[in-house]
Amino acid sequence: MSLGRSMIRVGAEERVRGRTIFGYDLERPGDLHLAAVRADQAPARILAIDPGPALALPGVLRVFTAADIPGENRLGIIASTRDHEFLAQELVRQEGQAVAVVAARTLAQAQAGARAVVVRYQPLPGVFDPAQALREGAPLVHPERPGGNLLHERRILRGDAEAALRDSAVVVEATYTTSPLEHCALELEGGRAEYVDGRVVVAACTQNPHYDRQDLSRFLGVEPERVRVIQAETGGGFGGKLDLSLQPFLALAAWHLKRPVCMRYTREESFRATSKRHPLVMHFITGADEQGRLTGLQARILCDTGAFASYGLAVNMRAAVHASGPYLVPHLDVVSRAAYTNNPFTGAMRGFGVPQIALAHEGQMDALALALGRDPLDLRLQNALRNGQATGTGQVLRSGVGLARCLERLRPIYRRWQARAASGEDFREGVGLAAMFYGIGNTGVSNPSTAQLEWGADGRVTLFTGAAEIGQGSDTVLRQLAATRLGIPVEEIDLCRGDTDRTTNAGATSASRQTYISGNAVLAAADNLEMQLVQAARQMLGQHHLELELRGGRLAALDGRRLEPAQVARYLAGQGQRARGAGRFDPNFSGLDPDTGQGRPYAAYAFAAQCAWVRVDTDSGLVRVKEVAAAHDVGRAINPRGVMGQICGGVAMGLGMALMEQFRFGQTDNLHRYHIPTFLDAPRITPLIVEEAEETGPYGAKGVGEPALIPTAPAVAAAVGRAVGRPLRHLPISLERVMAALTHEEAEHAN
Amino acid sequence: MDLCLTVNGQPISLAEVPGEASLLEVLRGRLGLLGTKEGCGVGECGACTVLLDGRALNSCLTAAWQAAGRQVTTIEGLAQGGHLHPLQRAFVETGAVQCGFCTPGMILAAWDLLQRNDHPSDQEIKQALAGNLCRCTGYHDILRAVRRAARWLREGAP
Ligand code: FES
Ligand code: FES
Repeated sequence: MSLGRSMIRVGAEERVRGRTIFGYDLERPGDLHLAAVRADQAPARILAIDPGPALALPGVLRVFTAADIPGENRLGIIASTRDHEFLAQELVRQEGQAVAVVAARTLAQAQAGARAVVVRYQPLPGVFDPAQALREGAPLVHPERPGGNLLHERRILRGDAEAALRDSAVVVEATYTTSPLEHCALELEGGRAEYVDGRVVVAACTQNPHYDRQDLSRFLGVEPERVRVIQAETGGGFGGKLDLSLQPFLALAAWHLKRPVCMRYTREESFRATSKRHPLVMHFITGADEQGRLTGLQARILCDTGAFASYGLAVNMRAAVHASGPYLVPHLDVVSRAAYTNNPFTGAMRGFGVPQIALAHEGQMDALALALGRDPLDLRLQNALRNGQATGTGQVLRSGVGLARCLERLRPIYRRWQARAASGEDFREGVGLAAMFYGIGNTGVSNPSTAQLEWGADGRVTLFTGAAEIGQGSDTVLRQLAATRLGIPVEEIDLCRGDTDRTTNAGATSASRQTYISGNAVLAAADNLEMQLVQAARQMLGQHHLELELRGGRLAALDGRRLEPAQVARYLAGQGQRARGAGRFDPNFSGLDPDTGQGRPYAAYAFAAQCAWVRVDTDSGLVRVKEVAAAHDVGRAINPRGVMGQICGGVAMGLGMALMEQFRFGQTDNLHRYHIPTFLDAPRITPLIVEEAEETGPYGAKGVGEPALIPTAPAVAAAVGRAVGRPLRHLPISLERVMAALTHEEAEHAN
Repeated sequence: MDLCLTVNGQPISLAEVPGEASLLEVLRGRLGLLGTKEGCGVGECGACTVLLDGRALNSCLTAAWQAAGRQVTTIEGLAQGGHLHPLQRAFVETGAVQCGFCTPGMILAAWDLLQRNDHPSDQEIKQALAGNLCRCTGYHDILRAVRRAARWLREGAP
């Protein structure tokens, strides 16, 4: 049985041989090339676009503008907030927004053409701060929108937070801020499109092929059947490949020119044109009684969603729902708002607002521990949610609450590091701890997945899934689940993935949802396949009441007879049928009450705690993270090696968020100025798997992709705070911020 | 200009290579060797690492003419007769490959290191691979893979 055994990842061997063709690699000889013209100022009104100088250049065939879009120009994953104009129509709302696309014979010609297109703008007053954006009279980012600059507001109200805080023995209050971040998947956006028999076929890197098809058909104004999307092998996503990027340009050009076209982003363009992580401002007031029990929380959260909604609504919801952290908090008053500005649009990035909010709820736990004279680990353990308790939205968790176990796993390591943390002439060390919970899947909405399994007449089984593999390992995990349920070796399962002609919708590879949701859909498909095989076998044998079941990859009858499923498949093939089972799974959720935010937003939650040991150089402010231990309750580790890989990758990304990453348009739009962790920054990581089974999960599994990153930045912030003797509440913890904290300057400047 | 070089053991001559073309462009565009990746084009990510006369370098920063008359090894040339190189095998087995986009460059940079130093310390591995970015793995399993490959190369693979 392959479940729970560390598996070699599907596709690893092709990757080490350099044979894997990614979206970025799809160009073929003879393809036309596309390059986008991007606005160098915003907000602005477009007065005129003159393609003439570009068209006069050698090799340039066509310049597309918004006028060439046959369907709707406004796209976006969340139907109620679709507002992303892929080619600016009249207004440019953010710098870097595409205004036109040039098609030419070579890449160099397309790029020269893009530089030659002349766009005349009239500058408009803009707004670049989300608090200002919500003031009366602020310039409107989407003037036609009824709600003004407020994209979304979410409240979570429970009990009476005001009274609870008034009656608390201790109350701590602070403001926390985070910065916009770039995903920096190593593979840049790339893809190719063709026009085949009246249809457009787009192959590109993506995290959500079936959504892409929907929006591309809307964009072209055709039925979805006339668009085929194929997920190319995708070299990392982290949320950055959830929104459409260059696919609309590819589809548009292939549609009009009826020729194969390809497009790639440069690193700079990827920085400028794709979504960023929302920067948040979080004002928290948290109370506890004398025994250290949390009493109440009042939180005010503001998210800068930039010029387009993208996933802003989801981020805002998640920030609110997770504001109380993985703790029992009886009284809550949380208001989270997301505002449009003319900054680069922000959207999904690994954790959807939870990595940001964790900085606040964990900072508050440390502040309470200090005020109460309590140990940070013990205080968290005392307040940790347990099975049978209710979250801040009033959802009683029946199973799968593994936080206490995570904290207990960390305890010996945490204590050892505390004892060993040293200080010297020119350095100080500190150890910090942070915890989190994370709802699996989309927040308070239906987000089903579907899958099929087919037993071929040749004896091989094929799994059909729309779930995008982006490096996180779903190809491997879904095959393991199918193999386990069917009782066959994982090697006997072939995979057909991410082609909208051949697979059905599995939803996005986001929200750590594929193991839990698509995993359950695959198990349902296996059950359905078994039922079909059993029925067909009865027909074949002419014994309509024969008891049969699939065991060890064979159909076994009570009377001891054994039948190969392939035999049954051949029998079915003879009748023009296939042995194919279909499965669907939608998590058991309920929408949030519009006023109080009470409800059941997710069916399952992952829990985790991490601790970090840092060394601070007191002369330079340089922080080095020496070690991180990360205990993650994943329900059940289907592929333990994959889980550990996710944890280690998440920790490194969290470390970048904690110490070095901050996106500034025009200033940090390359890897030279925008620093992500290198090999030398990577700490020693101890991944620890905790398995508190989720009763609705596939064999108890939940998910780990995003949880892996969430506790890291708050744990590092706590460790640095411990080392320098005052809390760090603003990310990234730059040299300047560390020095300010060390020299006790008042100003630990917010973002 | 005409360009003669050896790629993965094969002598190659190419006509009309523009003087400003990078080795990366020639490998990918003219020779179709797509295993060499491009992650930035300006020397900041290491995805384009190849071996030139056995030394790792960023092919995006190397002019194609600099490779004239020399030996270039790309990821496609590492496996011998269908057998994975120990580094490749170690990457597969330790889980050092996630999305795999950094992998070719990472393996070739590690090959260079192990050629010069058959028993590198962790710090030496980290230093040698510091120019190769990976956004997926946190480098943890890559370190394990390089250690393991070094051991196999010293002691013979099991
Ligand atoms: S592509 Fe050469 S270093 Fe990034
Ligand atoms: S495995 Fe994805 S960048 Fe390294």
